[in-house]
Amino acid sequence: MRAQFKNTVSELAAHDDSIVIVLGDISVYMFKDFWEKHPNRFYNMGICENTLVSVTAGLSSQGFNPFVHTICPFLTDRSLEQIKLDMCYNNFAGNIVTCGATFDYAWDGATHHAYTDLASLRMLPNMEVLHLGSKREVDALIRSQYNSPRPTYYRLSDHPHTIETNTEFGKGTVLKNEGAPLTVMTAGPILTNVMEACRDLPVNLVYFHTLKPIDKALIEQFRDTEILVVHDAYGLYEAISEVPALRMRYHGLPDAFCGWYGTVQDIRKRIGLDPASIRGAVQTRLADRSQGARVR
Amino acid sequence: MDDICRKIRSEILNVSNKSGHGHIPTSFSIVEMLTAVYQTMRHDPKRPDMPERDLFVLSKGHASLGFYCTLAAHGYFSFEDVYAFGGFDSRFGCHPDRTKVPGVEASTGSLGHGIGIAVGMALAAKIASTKRKVYTLIGDGESNEGSVWEAVMVAVNTKLDNLTVLYDNNQSQGRCLPIGNPAERFAAFGCDVSEMQGHDLAAIKQALAKPTDRVRVLVCNTVKGYGCATLSENVYEWHRRAPKPDELTKLQGELHAGAI
Repeated sequence: MRAQFKNTVSELAAHDDSIVIVLGDISVYMFKDFWEKHPNRFYNMGICENTLVSVTAGLSSQGFNPFVHTICPFLTDRSLEQIKLDMCYNNFAGNIVTCGATFDYAWDGATHHAYTDLASLRMLPNMEVLHLGSKREVDALIRSQYNSPRPTYYRLSDHPHTIETNTEFGKGTVLKNEGAPLTVMTAGPILTNVMEACRDLPVNLVYFHTLKPIDKALIEQFRDTEILVVHDAYGLYEAISEVPALRMRYHGLPDAFCGWYGTVQDIRKRIGLDPASIRGAVQTRLADRSQGARVR
Repeated sequence: MDDICRKIRSEILNVSNKSGHGHIPTSFSIVEMLTAVYQTMRHDPKRPDMPERDLFVLSKGHASLGFYCTLAAHGYFSFEDVYAFGGFDSRFGCHPDRTKVPGVEASTGSLGHGIGIAVGMALAAKIASTKRKVYTLIGDGESNEGSVWEAVMVAVNTKLDNLTVLYDNNQSQGRCLPIGNPAERFAAFGCDVSEMQGHDLAAIKQALAKPTDRVRVLVCNTVKGYGCATLSENVYEWHRRAPKPDELTKLQGELHAGAI
């Protein structure tokens, strides 16, 4: 997804002088071609995330379309106030692109894990929040949103899915609609595991890449079903909750630091986000519903 | 004290009295710095969004009262407009909002943010090959924030000779985390530093006019509440206080008598 980010931005920059890259000493070699072609629009500014965001806001104030990019927690946790005030409150746009989603850097421990970004950025007025899941989504949504009048957050992962989805901004995708009483809703790369888990189960499956604005009209279509949100971050459950009075449950992160190192697959398995565990969680909901029906 | 600076201070007192909101001493300390900037930079109060204008960012946003009165003195709006300071639905909040007040380029309030935005603005001017100059005013207390020094490093490293940082050295942090010798510190970061008495309007303007090929820093040694002895000798008591009618009379008397 990072390579797609670079490719898409490079293609856009060839025809659009407003694009400026601001890096926090990450992905620098990957952007080597961009640097050589546009030396006055490429800045490996340093490991100073607060200032990266403030400078991005200042560039935006003067009509540029900047992309600020570094590792997720350092940009979105550490610089949350700069995003909130310098970009959102000032109404300066710009593009915030992170790598290292959730447990992508599992082996580095909890300092490098990122799961609050979507939830916290979603709460900021003016913000657009994207949990991108595939390379297609990266390409399409950067092209459609990079010059949006609002600040836009793009969350990239090293573990994209390859499933065909609707890449229109603000729109979700119905991947399975069996008229079932249980609907699984998910977002981002974890779709790979969710799809495998649900493939042959009698459930509906709905996917989102845009968490803000969330596709409320699509959610409304499943109002009469129980909704099981399966997600490897915070933010999607809260976004779906914007539609009032739904029957919802969450299957995802524990209230704990998952500092067991290893790989993203290792951690997903331990916390129940591997395909088998997700399938078990869905089957439990199906069984509970069935039992509930018998009781009634 | 120059007449315009006395007038601005007098209106700061009036606004504070009428609105009930303060931050007078910190606003008083920057009046000459603000006046020097607005007498130097390219701007047009009748066209606040003039494309070729220079830019000013008040990073220490809590001194907005001084900022608004300076803008009023330069024709952006009337002093009477500012009497709504801090009131419900007023344009003039106790921290400036760029979307509400003409002449305000960035909304500030949380310390250590404005200078970073100003660095981005100056970088934008460089990328666009314009002659635009960018000015920002930061406080010494604000400079406890690490983000200030990040921004200075980035500005120096990106060679922003179109950026001027005015440092209000009003001894805010003597009580907790003082910045020992700010001129030496900025010089060590690679800036072109001038140090001056911060209430000498001519000296500040002269320093602003001097050509430079580096990030320019003016360390302005100022006095909180400069112009009124009651304020300058009791800065803690007056930090965020508005004068009552009898106190207003006394303060105006001190200001116009030239007492400190």
